[in-house]
Amino acid sequence: MNIQLDSIIAKARQDWADFQTNGKPKVTVCIDTSSEARGAQETLAAVKAEVARLHLDADIGISGSWGFNWMEPTVSVRTGAGTRTVLYANITADRVPEFLQRTLVEGGDMPELALGVVEGNATPEIALLADHPFMQGQVRRLMANLGMIDPENITHYLAHRGYAGLAKALDMSDEAIVKEMLDSGVGGRGGANFPVGRKWDFLRAATAQPKYLVCNADEGDPGAWVNRTLLEGDPHLIIEGLMIAARASGAREAYVYIRHEYPLAFRRMQHAIKQAEAIGLLGTNILGLDWDFDVIAVLGAGSYVCGDETGLIASIDGYRGMPRIKPPFPAQAGLWNKPTNVNNVESYANAPLILREGAAWWCNVNPPDQPEKGTKMFSLSGQIKWPGCFEVPFGSGTIRHMLDQYGGGMREGSVIKGYQPGGPLSGILPASDLDLPAQLGSFRERGMFFGGGGLLFFDQRTSILDLALWMTSFCEDESCGRCTTCHGGTQRAVETLRRIAGGGGRDTDLDKLQGLVQTLLWSNCQHGQLSPTAVKTAIKFFRPEFESLIRDKVDPTRSLPGFIKYVVRSQTDEHLPAALEICPTSAVIEENGVYHIEEPLCIRCGACKEVAPNAIEIRDRIPAFTAAEAAGG
Amino acid sequence: MSAEPTLQELRELVAEFQPGKGHVLPALHKVQHHYGYIMRPAIEVIARQLNSTPALIYGALSFYADFRTEPLGKSDVMWCSGPTCRLLGGDKIREAMQQVLQLPLGGVSEDGCYGFRLGQCNGTCSEAPQVWLNDRVVGNLTVASAIRLAREVKARQ
Repeated sequence: MNIQLDSIIAKARQDWADFQTNGKPKVTVCIDTSSEARGAQETLAAVKAEVARLHLDADIGISGSWGFNWMEPTVSVRTGAGTRTVLYANITADRVPEFLQRTLVEGGDMPELALGVVEGNATPEIALLADHPFMQGQVRRLMANLGMIDPENITHYLAHRGYAGLAKALDMSDEAIVKEMLDSGVGGRGGANFPVGRKWDFLRAATAQPKYLVCNADEGDPGAWVNRTLLEGDPHLIIEGLMIAARASGAREAYVYIRHEYPLAFRRMQHAIKQAEAIGLLGTNILGLDWDFDVIAVLGAGSYVCGDETGLIASIDGYRGMPRIKPPFPAQAGLWNKPTNVNNVESYANAPLILREGAAWWCNVNPPDQPEKGTKMFSLSGQIKWPGCFEVPFGSGTIRHMLDQYGGGMREGSVIKGYQPGGPLSGILPASDLDLPAQLGSFRERGMFFGGGGLLFFDQRTSILDLALWMTSFCEDESCGRCTTCHGGTQRAVETLRRIAGGGGRDTDLDKLQGLVQTLLWSNCQHGQLSPTAVKTAIKFFRPEFESLIRDKVDPTRSLPGFIKYVVRSQTDEHLPAALEICPTSAVIEENGVYHIEEPLCIRCGACKEVAPNAIEIRDRIPAFTAAEAAGG
Repeated sequence: MSAEPTLQELRELVAEFQPGKGHVLPALHKVQHHYGYIMRPAIEVIARQLNSTPALIYGALSFYADFRTEPLGKSDVMWCSGPTCRLLGGDKIREAMQQVLQLPLGGVSEDGCYGFRLGQCNGTCSEAPQVWLNDRVVGNLTVASAIRLAREVKARQ
């Protein structure tokens, strides 16, 4: 046991206990990117103003996200006696005066906005938070502190068994730490599931000095925000994980590479690093030991391929973030050509739990023969009721269970058509595959991958072609340009998909696209190799829809601009002037009291139908192209 | 928007950065944060400071979507290109707003008053479809409300 760390932790626990028993009620507002988008900063300001106005003696604090992203701002209230904490949802700034009047001033509850009781007993009006459908079945280990502590306060982290995993690691040899990681079976959380312990052992065995750690927080998959939730909610968990990795591997420095779109995560990580330095957990002669270690937060600048480990290393080095050919692997030649280990945020964040509680505890939530170990965070999006973030035993349940239990099911009027796991480099699956187990093998069998934790669910109105086009365009935009197969191949795929979307599909297009799928496999990195997965799986699982577009020139979803037209069907509707007014291209024209839509000007945005739903209707438009094709064009 | 900085001002701004320490991105970020964009002389100043070359610095700069060599529009509309936004009509919103603003993605009006650019998903999908207006989320848009927003932005001075 390290005496210095022991006393730091003991002091933090005492400070926390004093804070908890100071007799003041506590109002805690969740502040993260998702809650800020729904006005949480305004709520926090309103709480401060109202508490001051009423001269209330209360502690006002912030926390990371519980995961209820769709019901932000969430605010918890703890009674002065400390016997009861209730979490509330949708506490917008305008609700704050009434909210504080009823909770702080009158000392009661506000059941109509309550999510559940965090601490204390349930009442007839408010159930326990743990019994909320979104919380049931969750095993919150990585997320244990989210909602509970202030992510900007290291004392809070230390008081919640923070840095206890490091304390264990300090008493262990490098090989023993690696062995604990290997025993746990923890795999890389970026999607590959490669044993983290083996990667650490590669770095441990490397002889060149200095050695580096890189934390990949470049969570670029659109629709995935699990890393952001953790970075913003509990940055010290990641720092502690990096420190344990450094003890195991002998690394001198760690770089946390955070994408540019996550400025709050970057600020919180920078702040956490400074706090750890201030109490001697980072820097030189850490905790009185012959141990030097620094953590540096790096802000990305907008490039998806920097999520590839060699692209990421090039980016930190200060070059274009272009992935390169492996070998050499980063464990031999990474940052500045020195041995380097790259892991995902969640991979490092699990290390403190594994060291603190032991490998056997860590994987006790999974069947022994299952390759997915520990818990995993997920974020769900699309046309679902609850776009949120949660944590469950990795590999448990089916995708349908995730959608129903944690996504709240599809929205009103939405019928599930399919889903898309793992971001733009993965594939598209039909609703008939909803009963697949939420395991890596399910998706490997279908020629795609599960990915880093994002899942997108889409409904019957979604055009598969448009979804595939969106994913392929993203891959084209983000191609680094090194391989012609990739930058030229994705470009060609996008052109072809656009032509089909415009009504100009040709009988040979599907074969051509399949040819591109094969060619792209010759790209050097996974970006190029995996970029055709969307097209490949879209054609495989939704072939009739492609055939309808190409052969029959009919769009079953009536959404693709090349296949529809807007027409005025009622000249007497009172909303027609509004339709004329809203049209961004002046395509709605009125002549002598008669309205029509000038087809060549219309961009099919649908604004006119939105404001005059009964006057305007969508009709199938046989693309002009077809006539020319029929004539042998 | 302030006038272009002098070389001396630029040198002082990046004086803390050192060669061989991964300081290219931080130096570019600092200049952009300070002035709103990265002007040509800054590329040469950073190159000298980091013992690098303007070609390498510009090469890095031009690789990343978020570095820019021109100022943003005073009213800066960033359109979310994410999947949930797309499913909920985001691409129609983009088309319509571009028609109103008469700008391509990445474009800024001649007078510098407004601009339109592409943003990446950051997981605030409960607000989809959304844009950011000067970094603030404007969510739950419809095509019509997006058109009204674009017209309002265009009318601002």
